Amino acid sequence: MTEPEVTHADADALLKAQKRRNVWLAFALVAFVVIVGVTTAIRIQETDFSGGDRLYFSGYLDEAEKEAADREAEARYEAFRAEEAARAASLETDNE
Amino acid sequence: MSADTIANPAQPRLATARDYLELLKPRIMGLVVFTALAGLIAASSLSGIAVNPVLAAVAILAVALGAGAAGAINMWYDADIDAIMSRTATRPIPAGAVPRDEALTMGLIMSAVSVLLMWIASNMLAAGLLALSIVYYGWFYTMVLKRRTAQNIVIGGAAGAFPPVIGWAVVTGTTPLDAWLLFAIIFFWTPPHFWALSLVAHKEYKKAGVPMLPVTNGAAATRQQILIYTLLLTPVGVSPLLTGLGGALYGAVAIGLSAIFLYYAGAIWRSRAGDAEAGAAERQLAMKTFAFSILYLFCLFAALIFEHGFGLYMSIGGIG
Repeated sequence: MTEPEVTHADADALLKAQKRRNVWLAFALVAFVVIVGVTTAIRIQETDFSGGDRLYFSGYLDEAEKEAADREAEARYEAFRAEEAARAASLETDNE
Repeated sequence: MSADTIANPAQPRLATARDYLELLKPRIMGLVVFTALAGLIAASSLSGIAVNPVLAAVAILAVALGAGAAGAINMWYDADIDAIMSRTATRPIPAGAVPRDEALTMGLIMSAVSVLLMWIASNMLAAGLLALSIVYYGWFYTMVLKRRTAQNIVIGGAAGAFPPVIGWAVVTGTTPLDAWLLFAIIFFWTPPHFWALSLVAHKEYKKAGVPMLPVTNGAAATRQQILIYTLLLTPVGVSPLLTGLGGALYGAVAIGLSAIFLYYAGAIWRSRAGDAEAGAAERQLAMKTFAFSILYLFCLFAALIFEHGFGLYMSIGGIG
């Protein structure tokens, strides 16, 4: 069986169709980048990094898990504050 | 499946944007988006969790892309039988507009993009459920069930039932009983919906070798199964009233439409629809039942959207 002959008109039409598809693909890629960018920006804004929240995770499977994560974050923060206070006190003692 | 079995279109044509859109099965996509939106709105209303509207829109877009991806994979795999049935012969692949490999590539890329977008916009549970529903439809239903068993529609119906559960998970990160009630409604609705159509199109399915119930068990058994599944659907359809998911409006719509659906299922059961000697009126009855089933599902989920999205919810004493 022989391949059908491709005329100039066919080739032009194929090229045009290919170009149209490429433009649509480019639009889709740009849209994807924009959507990911906007979504990430919103997630960063809405995430409370001082608490138990984690980016790209918007829900705890149960309340106890969320409370435990919040308690853990609070304990970390308290430890940090205590460390800072101790450092400041030690600096004051050195200055005296 | 062999490439030789695929009908070679006499006159392949250039693909248009419409062909690529058709690959995504836009009508199914519309229903999927609608039911996912209903799940999302009901979850937000009942849990009191407000989702950022942009994130909600991206999550719904992800559901649409996932449904489209599964549709493209289905059309890639089923190109051989689509070419045999006149109802599907004009689809982009059998019509020679879109190469099969391109449809598969498109389906796989869109699957990955949809799951990724869902994860970014909501949470891992919703993304996981979306991935599961794509695999369920694109692989389990299309490649495993559809050509092997007459129960293809029953088991495969779960694929179309996931969207409201996904919508719910987007908001709360959980899937409570109410979400699974919405799943059950679509699950029990699918068999009478498809079997009503297959009573009319069974010759086509037979020609393509797809073991739909009228082909394997005959029209009488199919009519009986339509009635049985509609009887099962009726209590499931009104069950959201018991948990408080559905209010007065939902109750009125669900009870009224369930009664009409039962009337159609009873009429189908008593008719000869699907039999060789069936007349035009009986074929029309099957098509009317098919069309009404779409209206039934649409109205039930629209009632939920109106109640929870537009402040029309009036509790009628659910136990939830």
